Amino acid sequence: MTTARITTAPAARRRPTGRIVLHICLIAVLLVMLYPLAWLLATSFKPADEVIASLKLLPSHFEWGNYSTALDGVNEVSVGRLLWNSLLIACGAVLGNVISCSLAAYAFARLRFRMRGPLFAFMIATIMLPHHAILIPQYIIFNQLGMVNTYWPMILPKFLATDAFFVFLIVQFMRGLPRELEEAARIDGCGPFRSFFSVILPLTRPALITTAIFTFIWTWNDFFTQLIYLFEPEKFTLTLALRSFVDASSQSAFGPMFAMSVFALLPIVLFFLAFQRFLVEGMASSGLKG
Amino acid sequence: MRGNRTTRSCALALVLTLAGTLTGCGGDGGGGSGGKVSLRFTWWGNPDRAARTEAAVKLFEQRHPDIDIATSFAGFDTYKAKLATQAAGGDAPDVMQLDYRQINQYATSGILLNLGEHSELRTSEIDKGLLATGVVDGKQYALPVARGTETVAYDAALWRKAGVPAPTLTWTWDDWADAMRKLSASRATQGRVGSTDPGQSEDVFEIWLRSRGKSLYTKDEKLGFTADDLTRYWEWCTKLRKEGAVVPAEQTTQMDGTVENTPLGRLKSVSDFNWDAPTSGYAPIVGEGLKLAPLPVGDDGTPGQYFKPSMFFGASAKTAHPKQAAQFIDFLLNDKKAGAILGATRGIPANDAIRQDVLPKLEGFDQVISTYQKQFEGKLKDPPPAPPKGDASLQTTFSRDYDQVSYERMSPREAAQNYITEAKAELRQ
Amino acid sequence: MTATATRPPDAAPPATGGKRARKRERQGAAWVFLSPWVLGAAVLTLLPMAVSLYLSFTDYDMFDAPRWIGFRNYTQMFTEDPRYWRSVLTTLTYVVIAVPLQLLLALAVAIALKSVKRGKGFYRSAFYAPSLLGASMSIALVWRAIFNDGGSVDNLLSGMGIDIGGWINKPGWAILSVALLTIWQFGAPMVIFLAGLQQIPAELYEAAAVDGASWWRQFRSITIPMLSPVLFFNLVLQMIQAFQVFTPAFAVSAGKGGPADSTLVYTLYLYDRGFTASHMGYASAMAWALLLAIGVVTAVLFRTSRAWVFYANDNNEGAR
Repeated sequence: MTTARITTAPAARRRPTGRIVLHICLIAVLLVMLYPLAWLLATSFKPADEVIASLKLLPSHFEWGNYSTALDGVNEVSVGRLLWNSLLIACGAVLGNVISCSLAAYAFARLRFRMRGPLFAFMIATIMLPHHAILIPQYIIFNQLGMVNTYWPMILPKFLATDAFFVFLIVQFMRGLPRELEEAARIDGCGPFRSFFSVILPLTRPALITTAIFTFIWTWNDFFTQLIYLFEPEKFTLTLALRSFVDASSQSAFGPMFAMSVFALLPIVLFFLAFQRFLVEGMASSGLKG
Repeated sequence: MRGNRTTRSCALALVLTLAGTLTGCGGDGGGGSGGKVSLRFTWWGNPDRAARTEAAVKLFEQRHPDIDIATSFAGFDTYKAKLATQAAGGDAPDVMQLDYRQINQYATSGILLNLGEHSELRTSEIDKGLLATGVVDGKQYALPVARGTETVAYDAALWRKAGVPAPTLTWTWDDWADAMRKLSASRATQGRVGSTDPGQSEDVFEIWLRSRGKSLYTKDEKLGFTADDLTRYWEWCTKLRKEGAVVPAEQTTQMDGTVENTPLGRLKSVSDFNWDAPTSGYAPIVGEGLKLAPLPVGDDGTPGQYFKPSMFFGASAKTAHPKQAAQFIDFLLNDKKAGAILGATRGIPANDAIRQDVLPKLEGFDQVISTYQKQFEGKLKDPPPAPPKGDASLQTTFSRDYDQVSYERMSPREAAQNYITEAKAELRQ
Repeated sequence: MTATATRPPDAAPPATGGKRARKRERQGAAWVFLSPWVLGAAVLTLLPMAVSLYLSFTDYDMFDAPRWIGFRNYTQMFTEDPRYWRSVLTTLTYVVIAVPLQLLLALAVAIALKSVKRGKGFYRSAFYAPSLLGASMSIALVWRAIFNDGGSVDNLLSGMGIDIGGWINKPGWAILSVALLTIWQFGAPMVIFLAGLQQIPAELYEAAAVDGASWWRQFRSITIPMLSPVLFFNLVLQMIQAFQVFTPAFAVSAGKGGPADSTLVYTLYLYDRGFTASHMGYASAMAWALLLAIGVVTAVLFRTSRAWVFYANDNNEGAR
């Protein structure tokens, strides 16, 4: 293993004033970027007549009622239950995507087989069709499989690597790895399976972490699929429940909806915070030269 | 094309068989478990409606221990997409809440059960005019749940301050326009404009048409008006908009169907056109001064507004338990206890007997709405039959075409001709 | 997208004792690795795609059986529907604004973060925060408030003497506010860039530093080439997603695509035709026209990628 390596990028070696300027720039950009989030947070405390009508950031007084309404749950389903359901779907999807997409990506990136070019092209093409166009045929399939009103339509496709985005992502990372890695592994007597698990997979960890983070967040926020496939309110997710505060044909409850969306944000924030640290450890620290 | 539901499509059938053989099993679509009959019931609405509906369902399950009702709801816009997907997938829920504009499409495509054949379902107490709106090709496919009517919601306090005479039951469209001009001009309204622009609303246009003795659609499902009618309407709206009597395009475009995003909800205008049921949403924003006025009448005193069925209940033609579905709908519509639980959460009940029971017990703004409706009792014309198939997107087209007018990209006549062309194509005329 | 499969077998790296048996074993291994994907692609993707292709040649209202009408949907789309072409134009405007700006911002922040020593985790999380939200209804309402007449952006600009008014209700400006929502959520490409930067072996920079290469020189001859597979990925995917943009436009315009159709992007119009107007056949035709258009642009990108994308295992042509 290498020791005492300098893992920093070139810019870090500049003068300290340069670094301070960098920090100032970053913070300035951040302030602008976080303004809408502050607005979201502030709105969750606004009384009913200010939620939409007021164009001021701060509420005239803090309305905690929004939160108590939101935390009462929806349609006799508790917030805890909604949270659990959301977590179940998101975690299942993460597991599925990480496993199945890395398997498929390895084949596309590092193995040779007949039809690889056309299959890869087909895989990319599947991202290009707007999903609204295949919604109904997919619904019919899941209905025939008896999976409507279960979490399978949200989880099963992930175990079957239908998220070509992530397959392609991992492919790009795996292709960046030097070919000698497997050559060396082969000399040591490793077949494709061993070299996948013990050589390639550990080195693709940033891509796998990225896949996990995105899958979690995107599945969490995927309102439409959950809407179409879930029927019983006991199976609803936080994202679904959020929308049921708003109905165009009757009175809406925008205040509680904002409170609920702040609440629904917490788990994904925690998930991101927990996993983003692993993004740091890439090849630089996992010892390429071995 | 009609009644061809057995052959849904060869392509879709291909999917079914392929998916079926791949797994070796098909879903049974939620049948009974343990001898119990299980029904799925969906509606759109808000959490308040959900709580009341749940309570009513519990009561029904107590009375019918052999029937299990699974319920689900969503907001209106998402509900429509979800129900359409389910219906297209051959998986429509056993009992569903339907909109006026869905009836014709769903009935003629064989999605809905002919409820008229089920004697469990009593219709004797339901208003005859409303009942007829659920009839397609002579069959009762859907039953009206409640009734609503258009209204002009306004801030009476500002109105008084501005010295504008209060609206009456017989004010004409000209009276209305004069009032809006005065409101906009008055200092008392603090820069707020008289009203929402009626040009974007097909609902208001329909009432305007009816007050001139015409209608949106004729009895034989054709367009009931010409490009000239629509041009006149939009030219009138454009004149008012340019005078500043109604809100500019920049405000109109922000309307998204919710009360909060109307000009009145944003405190940019003094009044707004809307259906009566959602107007309770203005109360926390506008405050004490909120009142409901009737829509203007034609110059000869012809009222344009009518009692519209605000929603329907229907059952799936594919349901395994049509008898129980009919029983359940009967319970929701005709049972006194259910009526008391549900109150006015779906609007003022269409069942005459239940309405008499419920009205005195209504609380808050629901009471205002019921008083508002009471003044029309016996004075309005029958509602038109359910809009023809193909009408589903025309409401959007209407406001979209008017958007082109209000942003001055088209003249009223051009936009009106556009609308007529598109409407005829949609209605396949 | 080229037929790598047709390359002669000797293009494979000279393996030690690379015999036929080994090759066959690896063929078999590849299919084992691919098996979940093959199953998913066949049942959950190919089948629905085939159905939608069929539907694009029919008049299908989602309720009655589809009726074969040949190319009628396509001809109507291309020759009789002015709103279709307006949506194409709107989408192109959006793509041209959103994709480069989002990628530039993501790359700039990722590279800046790479140089930061202190507070790296904080910055990374803070810059990602907007992307956690998606285009939910609450963020849409926030957006509408901020870009409204008299909202924060309007106030700021009028303070600087620029008087635009509200962006969301001006036909020329509304699409820009939609694009800004996407650009604002640049977290995904940023994280991918960061992961890519992590993968660059530190030795390369060390060696360059020893040679006395400037920051810019290191950036150009190490960072960019080493990052090019990831850059390429981000470019292709952001482009594809931008052509299909739906949620931000849906959210900001409350599903209407207004004002005056100025945010009625392609997929929003497709949804409108399919689910509001019940013309699923027409919507399917729109979907396939879009697939072809994106396919062409992607193929061009893949072609040009040979000139500028650098793969470490370039003796293996890889899956183009």
